Amino acid sequence: MKPTTVGVIGAGRIGRMHLQNLVHSVPDAFVKTVASRSIDSSWAEELGVPLALRDYEALLGDPEIEAVVVALSSDLHAQAICRAARAGKHIFCEKPVAFSPGPIREALAAVRDAGVQLQVGFNRRFDPSLLKLQQAVRDGAVGELQGLRIINRDPQAPDIEFVQRSGGLFFDFTIHDFDTVRFLSGMEISEVHAIGTTLVDPEIGTAGDIDTAVIAVRLANGALGSIDNSRESGYGYDQRFEAFGAQGNLAVDNVRPTTLSSSLESGVFVDGPASPFVERYREAFIAELRAFVGCVRSGEPVAATGEDALAAIQAAQAATLSRRENRPVELAEVDQQVSVGVSS
Amino acid sequence: MKQIVMGILGVGRIGSLHADNVIGMPDIRLKSVADPFLEAEEWRSRGIEASLDPGLVIDDDEIEAVLICSSTPTHADLIERAALAGKHIFCEKPIALDPDRVRQTLAVTAEAGVKLQIGFNRRFDPSFSKVRQAVVEGEVGDVYLVKIVARDPAPPPIEYVQDSGGMFLDMTIHDFDMVRFLSGSEVEEVQALGAVLIDPAIGQAGDVDTAVVLMKLSNGALAVIENSRKAVFGYDQRVEVLGSRGGIEAFNELPSQVRVRSGEGERSENPHYFFLERYRQSYVDELETFVTCIREDQEPPVSGIDGLIPLLIGMAATTSMRENRPVRVPEPAL
Repeated sequence: MKPTTVGVIGAGRIGRMHLQNLVHSVPDAFVKTVASRSIDSSWAEELGVPLALRDYEALLGDPEIEAVVVALSSDLHAQAICRAARAGKHIFCEKPVAFSPGPIREALAAVRDAGVQLQVGFNRRFDPSLLKLQQAVRDGAVGELQGLRIINRDPQAPDIEFVQRSGGLFFDFTIHDFDTVRFLSGMEISEVHAIGTTLVDPEIGTAGDIDTAVIAVRLANGALGSIDNSRESGYGYDQRFEAFGAQGNLAVDNVRPTTLSSSLESGVFVDGPASPFVERYREAFIAELRAFVGCVRSGEPVAATGEDALAAIQAAQAATLSRRENRPVELAEVDQQVSVGVSS
Repeated sequence: MKQIVMGILGVGRIGSLHADNVIGMPDIRLKSVADPFLEAEEWRSRGIEASLDPGLVIDDDEIEAVLICSSTPTHADLIERAALAGKHIFCEKPIALDPDRVRQTLAVTAEAGVKLQIGFNRRFDPSFSKVRQAVVEGEVGDVYLVKIVARDPAPPPIEYVQDSGGMFLDMTIHDFDMVRFLSGSEVEEVQALGAVLIDPAIGQAGDVDTAVVLMKLSNGALAVIENSRKAVFGYDQRVEVLGSRGGIEAFNELPSQVRVRSGEGERSENPHYFFLERYRQSYVDELETFVTCIREDQEPPVSGIDGLIPLLIGMAATTSMRENRPVRVPEPAL
């Protein structure tokens, strides 16, 4: 069976990574075209990608292309989904799909009308450790779930231009954690309490964002969860997850690049966490694209849907509202609103 | 150097533990114990005077210091009587569940000019005190975040829950103290979520058995505490501090370091079962510190105000949970 022909839209950091993964690690995919305003065509050529375009409209007009990977800046995602869907392409889109439910709902409607597949880049759902954790929770390994813990800290704060376009910490960063809570628990978030502050870089505060946060969530079955975020740990990409239940606790620790342990006079040293995120989730980034191409070919439902993206955005909205107004926010409250501003 | 002569008021579980520790300390002579339920012969056979009446300890001129380990409702009265008798005082937490009563008691001890140390033993745990030391020495830089997981192995009897003042005043109070200790900062505001997931009887008694508490600290940092009354695998006690230069974490301690490898994977032991095992060393170290403070006329590192403030935080957390809103922690206002 011939490979699925794919186009990649956006060739920034994450777009390049997806493109390389498709070329090197997804045998069922053939990348015909990459479209990016800042494209370097020799780079694409070296990877064996025949066409490099500045505008993705022509990519969408190519009838040979069956599926697209959208890795533009976040504010352009929803529009790209709509256009790709109308062109009849299956879509893999990076998170977040949008910063408010309105554009996500529009994108989902376009996807539904076109009858194409949409998978969202919640890469953690494909991480071997988190998959195993999720299966253990689902299999009742610790009995009824009572608590979830997520520690999610970036090694280094992003540059301020990125922060300004990111939609804010909860929409850009915590969005993964909201999705992970839903993924691991198999439950919806019913209530959010968020506190946040600027401790890493005052410029982030000036840009109207925060860099440090703690969020408590209540789940549909009554269980409680906590998420903590920092834009800059100083020691690596800290990714730890725990599920606590009536019968015990499950924990996923950081992945280390090597298992070397050095016992010296000054102490015992091991590697810090694998960093940055492309290293830590290397396998997951490949697995999500393999799964997407597999779903395109088989017609099976994807494992990270547009509805998942919508739910995560609503949690991010609730967190934003909770932090800004310093009060708990029920998800039902956000669900009824058309849009809440992105940052304060 | 002359031994410090000591008496213990209340020799239940924790009082007996302190007695055993004190008996092994060369700097201290345990002269007498008092407890309405004690087995006098057992104590006398160890050369220790025993009575049912705390007055016999408090009014003994030879005794310089007392350990108050009786039931919580008796703490404030006994502290005041001991202070008026000029004894230095080590008292288990909490002093009382009413902040005004605590303030009165602190006023009496201050007036009497005696030492008062509160039994927040976890500050003396070798691992946690090392975390604090790393923070003080700037190893993690400016503090961004304090995280505490504190889970008991099993809920207490329901009769205990009913008189405990609620989980935040009974259990989380240690964690509130730990947040203050590790961060070196005060808690300004709390947001508490509670749930009854373990035993419905705890809910019927008006309490919760599971909680997450968010806190804003006066130095701008954030903190979060996670509590459960029941972790089937043992006493889950972990702390972590994140700062501008990195992080530091204290893990659970296991009774042994043995690992068993088999076809199913690797298995190590569960954490220590409960506080008497986990914090064994801290109970020794807190009393040694108390004795040093008496000998060298220093203010104990866990003083009366450290007994009051976590109570105020716990009350704010209780209000926060009941009214589902953030609550400011009031000034201690001594």
